[in-house]
Amino acid sequence: MSERNQVRAATSQLASIVESADDAIIGMTLDGIILSWNPSAERIFGYSAEEVKGRPISILILPERSDEVPRILERVKCGERVEHYEAVRRRKDGTLIDVSMTISPTRGETGKINGASSITSDNTERKQAQQLLIQRTTELEAANKELEAFTYSVSHDLRAPLRHINGFSKILLEDFGPQMNPAAKEYLQRMHETAQHMGRLVDDLLDLARVGRQALTMEITALNALVEEVILHLRTEAQDRQIDWQVGPLPFVQCDPGLIKQVFANLLANALKFTRPRERGVIEVGQTTVNSQPVIFVRDNGIGFDMRYADKMFGVFQRLHRQEDFEGTGVGLAIVERIILKHAGRVWAEAEVEKGATFYFTLLPPAQARMETMSMIGGKACRQAK
Amino acid sequence: MSAGEIDILLVEDSSTDVDLTLHVLRQSTLANRTCVARDGEEALEYLFGRGAYSDRGPECPVKLILLDLKLPKVDGLTVLRAIKNGLHTKVIPVVILTSSREEKDVMNCYDLGANSYVQKPVDFDHFRETVKQLCLYWLRVNQPPAVAAFSAKQRRRAR
Repeated sequence: MSERNQVRAATSQLASIVESADDAIIGMTLDGIILSWNPSAERIFGYSAEEVKGRPISILILPERSDEVPRILERVKCGERVEHYEAVRRRKDGTLIDVSMTISPTRGETGKINGASSITSDNTERKQAQQLLIQRTTELEAANKELEAFTYSVSHDLRAPLRHINGFSKILLEDFGPQMNPAAKEYLQRMHETAQHMGRLVDDLLDLARVGRQALTMEITALNALVEEVILHLRTEAQDRQIDWQVGPLPFVQCDPGLIKQVFANLLANALKFTRPRERGVIEVGQTTVNSQPVIFVRDNGIGFDMRYADKMFGVFQRLHRQEDFEGTGVGLAIVERIILKHAGRVWAEAEVEKGATFYFTLLPPAQARMETMSMIGGKACRQAK
Repeated sequence: MSAGEIDILLVEDSSTDVDLTLHVLRQSTLANRTCVARDGEEALEYLFGRGAYSDRGPECPVKLILLDLKLPKVDGLTVLRAIKNGLHTKVIPVVILTSSREEKDVMNCYDLGANSYVQKPVDFDHFRETVKQLCLYWLRVNQPPAVAAFSAKQRRRAR
């Protein structure tokens, strides 16, 4: 191939690159007179090459910004390249678009700066998406604030009247009970207990809301230590009962120790509650493997439940037993599920009526969990619960 | 009753809560040593011997302040700040007794120097036990400094 042919081939290759570029590529003189205009320039600005060649670049610029072109061209004349210059441009049909440009000097054969090239990308969609994102974030923040204000007023304003009903019904019972007939006393007792129950509902709902809002504080945690703390507390509550606590070896895991302690507290309190009809309650905590993934379980020999209702159980206010048989607000397992989901884990239950129940949960997806185990073997510091 | 005999200043806007708390204090024979302020402004007037309490003088401290947070006129946090900045009042134990258990409230109160933070329990027995215990602790068990000597020391340090 002759030298001339080689130059021709290179030129035509460069030309086709410019032709097919996704960005608008515009060549102009140092006075801003348009010399070349690729198809993307046509698409982005709406003018054809014939329409704009020989006309000043300022036709794309808002009149009030007319000083932009001379300023940029001054810098280009000095050999400077203006990068990622963000501006607003006007299309042929008058609509405004957000663009990002890079303007560089072009040089003649002698190396002297003889013009400028501008590579422009259309940012309108990105800007719109950004705007939408900002708007959504603001809305979300407002909604969160509102929720927080609501939670606050629930905790403050709703608890007070409950305390008052509870307090005065108690005083009435204590100070005037002896003068009342048994039925009146019984009704008053019920009012007192109902206010107490509603107080627990409000507190549990607030706990649930708090768990939702709270950011996780992750630490390598000894699950055995957490379980021991919980059992120590429950033992005093169940002094008059025969409970066989069986705790197997549990792993060290990366989790929020405060929240996972609450998971064990809720599950073990449930186990304690639903083994009440048993002469000897057996409550077991341990680790097993399901689908080659480590799983923690809490098992009891209590009254169990019908598996048909297993899904409902984790919903707020969902209860499978009568209030007079087993007290509760129906929020405990909802809190458990929310905490486990926040840990990217899974929680489920298996049971049979009168044959006990087992609750299972995982804390991390399998790959991560294996890594945690390895880092544990590596002798990383762990949290010893007090 | 004369102002000198007051042990407890109860700052509480709800008349129902005042009645319930006084009922408990009566059972602990503390009610007649309790003064009630129904808003933040009244609490400050009482403690600093101003306004309706100008005859009290600023140097007749109480032994314990039970302070609600949500108060008309001047809110509980402002009252707490004034107490902990006051030469004679700084030393008085302030127990926040409120419906709120919001982390933000708890934090702000301790930040301003509250001595204790207690959420009023819904259950009356629990409430009674709580009020009894904390009065017992702050009035009988806790050893406060001699007020005159303490303020004199504060004054010297301020100079």
